[in-house]
Amino acid sequence: MSVQQSQGIQTLLEAEKEAAKIVQQAREYRVQRLKDARAEANKEIQEYKKAKQEEYKKLEGDHIGTTQTSQSAIDKETEAKVKEITAQFEERREKVVEKLLGRVVLVKPELHRNLKKVEA
Amino acid sequence: MSSRPLNDDEVASEMNKMVAFIKQEAHEKAREIKVKADEEFAIEKARLVKQETLAIDADYEKKQKQAEIAQKIARSTATNKSRLELLRAREQHLQNLFSDARERIVELSTDEGKYTQLLQGIIVQGLLQLLEPEVTVYGRKKDSGVLQTAADGAAKQYHEISGREVKVNTEASLSDEIAGGIKLINGTGRITLDNTLDERLKLLEDRMLPEIRTDLFGANENRKFYT
Repeated sequence: MSVQQSQGIQTLLEAEKEAAKIVQQAREYRVQRLKDARAEANKEIQEYKKAKQEEYKKLEGDHIGTTQTSQSAIDKETEAKVKEITAQFEERREKVVEKLLGRVVLVKPELHRNLKKVEA
Repeated sequence: MSSRPLNDDEVASEMNKMVAFIKQEAHEKAREIKVKADEEFAIEKARLVKQETLAIDADYEKKQKQAEIAQKIARSTATNKSRLELLRAREQHLQNLFSDARERIVELSTDEGKYTQLLQGIIVQGLLQLLEPEVTVYGRKKDSGVLQTAADGAAKQYHEISGREVKVNTEASLSDEIAGGIKLINGTGRITLDNTLDERLKLLEDRMLPEIRTDLFGANENRKFYT
C-alpha cells in the first residue's frame, strides 16, 4: 500500500515538473518577444531615417540650384544697369558741368532779409 | 461518494485525470502568457517606432527651415550687393565730373571784362555778409590790375544796396595757382570770408547734389517724400 502511495506522489511530482517547464518556456518566449520588438523597431526606424535623409538631400540640391540661377540673374541685371548708368552719364555730364561753372560765376548780392537799408 | 476503498483500476484512472489536469492548467497558463507577450510585442514596437519617427521628423523640419532661411539670406545679400554696386558706379561718375569741373574753373578768369564784373559782384556779396566798417580784399597776384577797380565799384554798390559805408583795402597777395576770386578779412582781422572760385565750386558741389542727381541719373523711383 505505501509503495503505491509513493508511486502516485512521484507521478504527480513529475507532472508538476513538466507543467513548470511548459510555463517557463512561455515566459522565455515572452522575453524573446520583447527583444524582437526592439530589434524590429530599430530596423524600421533606420529605414525611415534613410528615406528622410535622401529626401532632404534632394531638397538641398534644389536649393543650391535655385540660388545659383538667381545669383547669376542678379549679376547680369546689375551689369546691364551699370552700363546704362554710364551711358546716361556720358550723355549728360557736359550739361551739368556747364551748369556748375555757370553758377560759380552767378552772383546776386542781396542785403540780409532781416536788415533794412540805412537811409542817409 | 463511494464508501468502499478504490481498486487499482480506479486509482490509475484518478491518477491520470490528475496528471491531465495539471498539464492542462500548465498549457492554459502558457497560452495566456504567449498571447500577452504578442500583444506587448506589438505595442512596444509601435511605441518605439512612433517615438523615433517623430523625433526624426522634427529634426528634418528644423533642418528644412534653416535651409530656407539661409536661402532667403543669400538672396537678400545678393540684392544688397547689387544695389551697392550701382551706388558705387554713380559715386565714381560724380567724382569724375567734379574733378573735371575743378579743372575747368580756371577758364573763368580769362575774359577780363567778365572777370572784373565777377570780382566786383563777389566782393559786394562778401561785404554784405560781413557788414563791417573796414575790410581788406585779398586777390591773386596776377589780378592786381583789376582788383582795385573791382573793390571801388564794390564799395559803391555796397552803399547803394545797404546804405552803409565801408573802407576797402586791397592786397594782391593770394597765390596765382588758384582759379581766381577773392578773400575778405575784416578790419580787426577776426573774420575771414573765402569767396574764391575754388571755394564757391566746393560749396556748389555740395549744395547742388540733389539737382545734379536728377540731372545725371533721373529722379529716384523709390523716393516717396519731398519737402
